[in-house]
Amino acid sequence: MKKLGALHYFLFLVLLMWPEALRAEPPKTPSALPSRNAEVSLDGKHVLFGVSFRDIVDAEISKKLASGLPTVIVLRAWLFRDGGSDPVAMTAKTCKIVYDLWDEVYKLQITQPGGQTDSVAVNQEGVLRQCAEAKKLRLAERSELDSNTRFFVAALVEINPLSQETLDRIKRWVTRPNGSAPASKGDSLFGSFVGLFVTRINDADRKLSFRTQSFFPPNPMAEKK
Amino acid sequence: MFRILAPFFIVLLFAPWARSEETKTPPEEKKTKATSPSEGSADRQRIRYVLEGIELRGNVRTAGRVILRYVKFRAGDLLDVANPEVELTRYRLLGTGFFSRVDLSLRKGSRRGAAVLVVEVVERNTLIVENLTAGVAADEDRVGNARPISPFLGLQLAETNLAGTGITLGAGVAIAADQYALSTRFVDPSFVGTGWSAAATLYYSDGRDFFGNRDVLFEAPAIPQREVTDYAVVAYRRFGATVGTGHDLGIATSFTLNYHFEQINATVPAAASHIRGNSREPILFSIQPGKSVLSELHGTFTYDTRDAPFLTARGTLAQASVTLSIPGSDYAYQSIEGRWRHWFPLPRRHVLRLEGFVGAIAGDAPFFRRFYVGDFTDFLPDRLLDLAPDRRQPPNFLNTDIIEVRYGDVAAKIEAEYRIPLYVGRESVYGVDLFGSFGFYSVATRREFTQPASGYRGFQRVPIDLTGNLGLRIDTKLGGVTLAFSNLIGLISSRNGERK
Repeated sequence: MKKLGALHYFLFLVLLMWPEALRAEPPKTPSALPSRNAEVSLDGKHVLFGVSFRDIVDAEISKKLASGLPTVIVLRAWLFRDGGSDPVAMTAKTCKIVYDLWDEVYKLQITQPGGQTDSVAVNQEGVLRQCAEAKKLRLAERSELDSNTRFFVAALVEINPLSQETLDRIKRWVTRPNGSAPASKGDSLFGSFVGLFVTRINDADRKLSFRTQSFFPPNPMAEKK
Repeated sequence: MFRILAPFFIVLLFAPWARSEETKTPPEEKKTKATSPSEGSADRQRIRYVLEGIELRGNVRTAGRVILRYVKFRAGDLLDVANPEVELTRYRLLGTGFFSRVDLSLRKGSRRGAAVLVVEVVERNTLIVENLTAGVAADEDRVGNARPISPFLGLQLAETNLAGTGITLGAGVAIAADQYALSTRFVDPSFVGTGWSAAATLYYSDGRDFFGNRDVLFEAPAIPQREVTDYAVVAYRRFGATVGTGHDLGIATSFTLNYHFEQINATVPAAASHIRGNSREPILFSIQPGKSVLSELHGTFTYDTRDAPFLTARGTLAQASVTLSIPGSDYAYQSIEGRWRHWFPLPRRHVLRLEGFVGAIAGDAPFFRRFYVGDFTDFLPDRLLDLAPDRRQPPNFLNTDIIEVRYGDVAAKIEAEYRIPLYVGRESVYGVDLFGSFGFYSVATRREFTQPASGYRGFQRVPIDLTGNLGLRIDTKLGGVTLAFSNLIGLISSRNGERK
């Protein structure tokens, strides 16, 4: 533990406190993801990025948003060197949305680098603006990025992601055969068919993956000009 | 890899002083307060309603009370919209298998602060094929070569939502040469609205079983032998019923308790002997001639943490069961069994499964309740609804006295299986895995301990052998399909004349 250093120890604590981040796995082939444009800027020591992912909300998700029950939109973004497959930094934004039936507003709880913010939106346009866009989201410390290397961001957006534990629990309920006993006990046959009537459970209601254009880390001098 | 990440996360979560976003706030949104995660903003965001009622939509066949059985909320409850029970209710309803889609939402109640929980379902076909098995049973000639004789078939169907009541009614049939078995099954997963299930099964079979190792001599004038001349045949009819109950003790644990009663009518050869080892011995049939009664109590405890029932990638399935005969039964016996299976996920989605089984029977159990060698080696077909269609003895790779055993009083098995995914899909076929398994098993009667077969020495007296399998497991929208090749291998292999 001593060798790992205090920073890694704190990272471990942070990951424990943020279950969604703990579960996050970077994409295996990030450069092959469909591309969309992102804004990359500098804020003092930090590289920021902004991107819209409003297309994650289709008619079905829109209905869910108005259901009066919570909907969670999670964005995870990894910074890669161009051509690389190991992330050098990661960031995330979580937005929990609940429509208040009687106040007729959407109550939002947004968690991102910098802390947690409570907010309201009077319609779904306001929800999309706050929860389906990343604005100046901190990506990495500028000093850690080589100025001569190109980078890109790969992102995964999920609606109502389930933790692995919850997913396993649910799958057990959904897939346990209802008291059925197989006619045969094993596989020593030419073929056997077992109809378990399984309902497939996905680990999120909807997913969207994309990458951004490649970019050089913003230069402090260029930003000032 | 995350050297840059570490300080960044520390800054982002432990720095409430960090600069907030400088964005123009449109009129349709309003920020309230930036807080650290520990300041309890969750409490301020918490929305609760007095639940005025539950409205069901879309259930044409399924009775409302069946749906409400899975909804834990009732009118008058204070409903916190963040309560995970709301979402879990949706998955519980999907878990019944009655619905292809379940959506939950809230609508305003009749007064401020009240809400109605709306459960909208889309029903699905609930008549399903639970199990379909097929293969070829074999005899063997006088030099030990396998001789395919007849196909066999097992089929189980079930209507899992009988007349919309949530009750399962199933039927099964197994057909092999000169024998068949039928069963019907009734399961109410929530008997009179409780957390206990109720189950009843009827079973009938008209079967025959094949005894004797080598040079079998018998006298059985009451049994038509037809082409079967190398075995002493026991013909029997069984008719019985099982009633039982089950209860989930937790997410992963459950137990079942069943009482079984049946009448057996067996026609047993008047006299029979065979060569066991190097000696001629009488054949023990483990069944009473004529009419007899079996009455038993069976309990099973199950621990199941599998992530999926077919192409399992992780988790454990462990079962322990005890069977006790009831006074009045013509067969006084007790048995205990334990089975443990664990799946280990490996890199590249490969999966390793380890399995162990031990079981022991004390007393005089009928042969169909004893450990059948075909259930342990993959080179012989398993029993179908208690019928053993195959007449062969097991392969004998380790050259032990396992070849002398068909039914045993003790059994054990250890096995490892390795699975390699060949295809992963999202439409009709969810996945195709190549699997290979390898293990050891042992089945022995009490006589293997007290009176070992003559002609075997040292390790040969331990009735143990290898088993293995190779094939494909295919997970489809309709269910799981296993194409296994061990049965084919079993037909090719022989005991090189040992049955001479």
